[in-house]
Amino acid sequence: MSSTRATSAAGATVIARRRSLLSAEILKVTSTKMWLGMLIGVALYIGIGVVATIFAPEQPGMPMPRLSTTEGLRNLFSTAGSGYVFAIVIGALGMTQELRHRTLSSMLLSEPRRNRVMVAKMGAYAGVGAFYGLVGVVFGYALALAFLPLKDHGDIPIDALWQIAGGSILGCALFAILGVAVGTLVRNQIGAILGILVWVLLIEALLVAFLPAVGKWLPGGALSGVLQSTGFNGASYLPVWGGALVLVGYTAVFGVIAAATTQRRDVS
Amino acid sequence: MSHTSPDATSRQDPSATSPGGAATPGPIIATRSDSGVLGSRVDVAGLSKHFGSVVAVDDLTFTVDPGRVTGFLGPNGSGKTTTLRCLLGLVEPTTGTATIGAQRYHDIAHPARVVGAALEATGFHPGRTARNHLRVLALAGGIEESRADETLELVGLADSARRSVGGFSLGMRQRLQLAAALLGDPGVLLLDEPANGLDPEGIAWLRGFLRYLASQGRTILISSHVLSEVEQTVDDVVIIARGRLVRACPLSDITDHGQRLLVRTPQTEELIAALAQQVPQARVSRQDDGSLLVEDVDSPSVGRAALDAHIELHELRPATSDLEQVFLSLTGGAQ
Repeated sequence: MSSTRATSAAGATVIARRRSLLSAEILKVTSTKMWLGMLIGVALYIGIGVVATIFAPEQPGMPMPRLSTTEGLRNLFSTAGSGYVFAIVIGALGMTQELRHRTLSSMLLSEPRRNRVMVAKMGAYAGVGAFYGLVGVVFGYALALAFLPLKDHGDIPIDALWQIAGGSILGCALFAILGVAVGTLVRNQIGAILGILVWVLLIEALLVAFLPAVGKWLPGGALSGVLQSTGFNGASYLPVWGGALVLVGYTAVFGVIAAATTQRRDVS
Repeated sequence: MSHTSPDATSRQDPSATSPGGAATPGPIIATRSDSGVLGSRVDVAGLSKHFGSVVAVDDLTFTVDPGRVTGFLGPNGSGKTTTLRCLLGLVEPTTGTATIGAQRYHDIAHPARVVGAALEATGFHPGRTARNHLRVLALAGGIEESRADETLELVGLADSARRSVGGFSLGMRQRLQLAAALLGDPGVLLLDEPANGLDPEGIAWLRGFLRYLASQGRTILISSHVLSEVEQTVDDVVIIARGRLVRACPLSDITDHGQRLLVRTPQTEELIAALAQQVPQARVSRQDDGSLLVEDVDSPSVGRAALDAHIELHELRPATSDLEQVFLSLTGGAQ
């Protein structure tokens, strides 16, 4: 009886510690201006994406679904999820700047159980990612709905809008965690950011666009599945749940590898 | 090292401990118990750490006792920081153990309340304010956030609490590191080169502050590569060179190690003769500036010998700089 009480008290302490550790990680994010700069980046990137999708002339030879079709409108609204690039970058920055400024050591003095620190950091950045996703959805949808009346378009698929909104927020949260994991594994800040940008914006983007059979299994392609986008020549990606599972799988695998390598590594 | 009274918050006006006020460090930190000792023993036993083929620490063994300030001394690159990082669980020892209160750092339930550490003054995000830096660490360590403001006052940084650390001088960063170490009101303090970057006033302040913290029964280990920086602060010394222990003893064992006197007289030859006759155990050597270095004899004996021989003395004093000489010869001897 008393031992049960003691156990539950210890459990409550552990929960309180984990919660305050999460608060510490969130305060780290909000106490510098990086999140704001990246948020402006999200808005600009999505704004340009939405406007370009609506007003860009047809590209001969690269037939994308038109705005008169449901597929075309889904693609337009799924632009709201493209903030995931910033989510993965801020996750990687969040981890690598701890190494760059050597703040990780003081963090590990406060809480030497490194797994807890990693989990808290991933949790905090999942929150940041979800916030970026939400802002992207609100801002992207508002722009799309404001500019769409200027062009001929089909009926707006309301159900899909909810689905794309949920997918964007989840996707951005998962990509932010992936960013923390990549930052942990690469360690060097410039290397991590360059690697992520080259991968996301170039290699993966090309594979998703021109080799969807392979691309749909990559994280970015899986997100395209979650957002139910349609590629060139009507290429389709994984179903929503398939894409979500693949994305969760990548995040879990990278997250676990990152946490495991942190366990015994010397910290300078 | 029971941590009992987060409620006892009577803290004195920080000006009493600010630079210049080193003489009267009053009740700075809430007294916790009258039992005296609240610090734990620090034990390093057979500790070695290899980085690839480089042996940073080589079979090092020493202890640090509560209630005393121990200087952890050695040239740059001698393994001091690596040893501290082993103690703090940041670096995995190759062999041996480094424990605090017989526990490894990872195994301490509330480490921030037991051990406070200040490693080199680079662990800051330049865009974060001093106060937020401490709040982050307090949250992470499960310590009340109010301690951030309290420790900033303690180290005399209250006025700069809301400034970004990027604009701080090295001395201010050292104080902020010290504030971070004190967040959990710990019984053990491990400070890596805390005097680095402090001006003479700051060093005087640090000296008084550390003496006061030690008088409360805390265990304090401060590393330095300059003996003179800490010789007025420490009770004990642990001297290492090239990762190996050179000496671990009370400071007095080094300072009392043979008396050395500097004597200046216009009658050098007569004094040498007089000393040889009256105090034959004295070892006398001529210095480049014409003075004499007299060893293994006390100053009254030299003065009496001079008086008896009617020799005029212009100067008779302990040769002060020799502590650094002892340090250099000890650390140099290990090479």
